[in-house]
Amino acid sequence: MAHELSITAIGADRPGVVAGVTGALAALDANLEDTSMTILGGRFAMVLIVEVPEEVDVAAVEVALAFPASELHLDISVHPSDPTGASSEGERWSVSVYGADRPGIVHRFALALADARVNITDLATRVIGDPARPVYAMLLDVVIPEDVDAATVESQLRAIAGELEVECSMHAADADIL
Amino acid sequence: MIRPVVLLPDPILSTPARPVTEFGEATLALAADLLDTMRGSSHSVGVAAPQIGVGIRAFALDVTGHRKAKSCHGELVLFNPEVVLAHGRDVGREGCMSVPDLTGDVARHTTIVVRGYTPEGDERVLECDAFEARALQHELDHLDGHVFLDRVVSSDRVFQRRVYR
Repeated sequence: MAHELSITAIGADRPGVVAGVTGALAALDANLEDTSMTILGGRFAMVLIVEVPEEVDVAAVEVALAFPASELHLDISVHPSDPTGASSEGERWSVSVYGADRPGIVHRFALALADARVNITDLATRVIGDPARPVYAMLLDVVIPEDVDAATVESQLRAIAGELEVECSMHAADADIL
Repeated sequence: MIRPVVLLPDPILSTPARPVTEFGEATLALAADLLDTMRGSSHSVGVAAPQIGVGIRAFALDVTGHRKAKSCHGELVLFNPEVVLAHGRDVGREGCMSVPDLTGDVARHTTIVVRGYTPEGDERVLECDAFEARALQHELDHLDGHVFLDRVVSSDRVFQRRVYR
């Protein structure tokens, strides 16, 4: 039976990284199920969930990726990864936080969300603005369970924002089907 | 009649639709099917003819009762619609019956004036804002062979709809 693997690759950002990695995977008949690729701090980072035929194991994928890894200077890791089956049911909200950069911002917000049983489904951070006065921006997509009050979560986040002297706003992100 | 909704990547969704040149039984029948299909899907506020497999410039729309709506022209069917005037910009999250698994953030004009024709062939000019303007632009895109995925503000603002598996 076909099975799923998770692959992460990170290295110098240059043309040909996606082509090199996906070419080696295509040669194994691996099907890309879900991917996220972006530039993080000047490095190109890829996370891939691939479905591979039964006879293709982790070692076979590591061998196949060894050539693009050395040629493109990528750190690659491959792991077995079955879907967990966890699902997030509830209301979707977007949270944005921005302000002066300081350690611990992500942790404080994430901890408050976890304590409220709010699941983070997407999180991206960026440092933007003038290098002399950098602004830290964080965007989160979260799912608030039906029995949790969004207004309460929002006031908790605002209290943390006040303590950390950053701005925080939250808005419903349920899409309209048009 | 409620028609089945065509799903991506059906080529009709990426093909510009043709304007109608004659109004009569055919436009009345298409309007009825658009309205039936829209009413038949409780979660959608509009449907464009290409979404039911008809490559004609027509759509049905109804934003009545929607919490984000300001202007509201009730149940509408417009043929050969064109934008006369547009201004403002706002980003909002959209989904589409033809793209069942994804949603995405799309920038739209906040006010638009649209001219089009009723199924009987009478000219109508509508000024729409807020949610009705967004929905109208989404349907107009279908007539030009575009879905919201062609318009998302950036590739990282596309999301799985509701359930994660």
